[in-house]
Amino acid sequence: MRALPPAASLSLETERHRRRRRVPWGAYLALVPTLGLLGFFAYYPDINGLVHSLTNWEPGFSSPFVGLANYRAMWHDGLWWESFVHVGVIFVVAVTAMWAIPLAAAELLMTLSRPRWRLFFRSALIAPLAFSPVIQVLTWQFIYDPNVGVLNDFLGKVGLTALQKNWLGDPHTALWALIFINFPWVAGLPFLIFSAGLQNIPVEIFDAAAIDGAGRWKRLLVIDLPLLLRQLKLLFFLAVVFVLQYGFAAYIATQGGPDNATTVPVLRIVGVAFDAGEWGYAAALSATLLIIMMLMTGLALFIGRRGPRGAR
Amino acid sequence: MAGARDHRRGSAPMPRPRARTFTRRRLTELTAAAILSCLAFVGLFPYLYMLETAFKSNSQFNGNEATPTLPLHFGNFATAWRVVAPYLLSSIIVAACAMVGCILLGSVSGFVLARYRFPGRNLLFGLIAVLLMVPNTASLIPLFVLMRDLHLLNTYPDLIIPQLTTQTVFSVVLMKTYIEHLPEELFEAAHVDGASPARTYWSITLPLARPIIGTVALFSVISVWSDYFWPELTIVTNSLRTVPVGIQFFQGELTTSYGPLFAGYLIASLPLLVLFVALAKNFLAGIQGGLAVGR
Repeated sequence: MRALPPAASLSLETERHRRRRRVPWGAYLALVPTLGLLGFFAYYPDINGLVHSLTNWEPGFSSPFVGLANYRAMWHDGLWWESFVHVGVIFVVAVTAMWAIPLAAAELLMTLSRPRWRLFFRSALIAPLAFSPVIQVLTWQFIYDPNVGVLNDFLGKVGLTALQKNWLGDPHTALWALIFINFPWVAGLPFLIFSAGLQNIPVEIFDAAAIDGAGRWKRLLVIDLPLLLRQLKLLFFLAVVFVLQYGFAAYIATQGGPDNATTVPVLRIVGVAFDAGEWGYAAALSATLLIIMMLMTGLALFIGRRGPRGAR
Repeated sequence: MAGARDHRRGSAPMPRPRARTFTRRRLTELTAAAILSCLAFVGLFPYLYMLETAFKSNSQFNGNEATPTLPLHFGNFATAWRVVAPYLLSSIIVAACAMVGCILLGSVSGFVLARYRFPGRNLLFGLIAVLLMVPNTASLIPLFVLMRDLHLLNTYPDLIIPQLTTQTVFSVVLMKTYIEHLPEELFEAAHVDGASPARTYWSITLPLARPIIGTVALFSVISVWSDYFWPELTIVTNSLRTVPVGIQFFQGELTTSYGPLFAGYLIASLPLLVLFVALAKNFLAGIQGGLAVGR
């Protein structure tokens, strides 16, 4: 153990390092618990899932090899691809409105000159984050309730009775009702990232812009957005990953219905495995989702590395 | 507005253009504050509504849904507590075990990976960090089969292990990055004084890593309070249910009595709320740390 030199103290250590080149068993030993845990409960199941996506998986019994049959079945699975359309709709909103409002909030926050007020509004805006996401969904489900819900109640009071709906029960509105959960979407990662990014832009740049007579909109387009570019790229890929994992809200509030209007990939996988018992097929769907997500994250890392080094 | 007028009077001797820009700025700020108040109100509305309804009896709720009414029914919280308590207990047990485990594993591995050089160091760290890219939902199916084969479904280990696995990955990555950035001199001094690696870990690294340990702790609690599919699909014993799945079930038990229902939501949220307020700084640090790694 004592033979292990601290990593960065090179000047002192290189010579000693050369002198006794013992295998640092201590370091490996210390990593064994972590690697064992992750090997057995993360790597093993994931690889096992990939392998069994090529079989007719029957947990506890022999699982006959079927080649790519599960993937061929996926190709013809209309509901599976429809679920990606829903996710696509959610994605479009996630990278437009769900960014625009938090960005506006972050910009407005920057116009406040008193730190105390900034802190106050910042806290008030992110406070909903402190609630469990499931409670957020259940609360919104209650808002959408056709009989006692706040939304219909409000519409009735302002005389717009015609607009009252069974928001989560109508195939035309169900997906949008799910998307609008947590409106105005300020309490979330985009807001935190935008406001941190704006805060890190040096004040001198803003002052220079003001002296040059740049208005608010011009400043937003010419200074803020370019300096936030790296964060935007990152958020874009986080949005992809978020959207592909989207599921529990639909599971709780609509169960993928009505009429499959809110089915998303995760719900389809759960349905195939736990309701239909087709584990091999579910493994193939999972594997597809996993590969898409890893590709996206890999791409994000790649682009993030290459991206210009802007404001930290 | 009153403030703006006061100011104009106060700055009367000043040259005019400057005074005008000042009030204009003041107006912009007021507008910004007004818009931000609206956003904050809309965002918080569901929770304010929850708070208000939690104190209502059924007849108060049916009579006047929108505004608070007296008397406040604290009894709702007693009713809700009886239903929520087992879910809270289960969540706390799971969160505590996962938290201790991931802090222990994360700090030891992070320390070794950050402070020692040995063959395969980068490869091993890469093998751990790449798991950040594998979301839980993608391993739901194979992990279920594994737990089933181990006969662990519907037990505490079944709840704890997946949490521990995910949180350990996060913890190792955060700790390693943090410990790497601790001042080198401290470790050199310890080395010169002949401190063993174990001693260096225990007496130097751990105390210095306290902020990041707070972050990891907070995130492991958030994770237990957010995880839905796993407990939903693997737990059938009611007393083992964690908060996210449990609270759905008391919808059935407390049907149509909205007061106790919302009181239950509040009680179930309380541990997370308290931690959030206490550790807000760690939360932001965690987000930024996670992003730095994400880059």
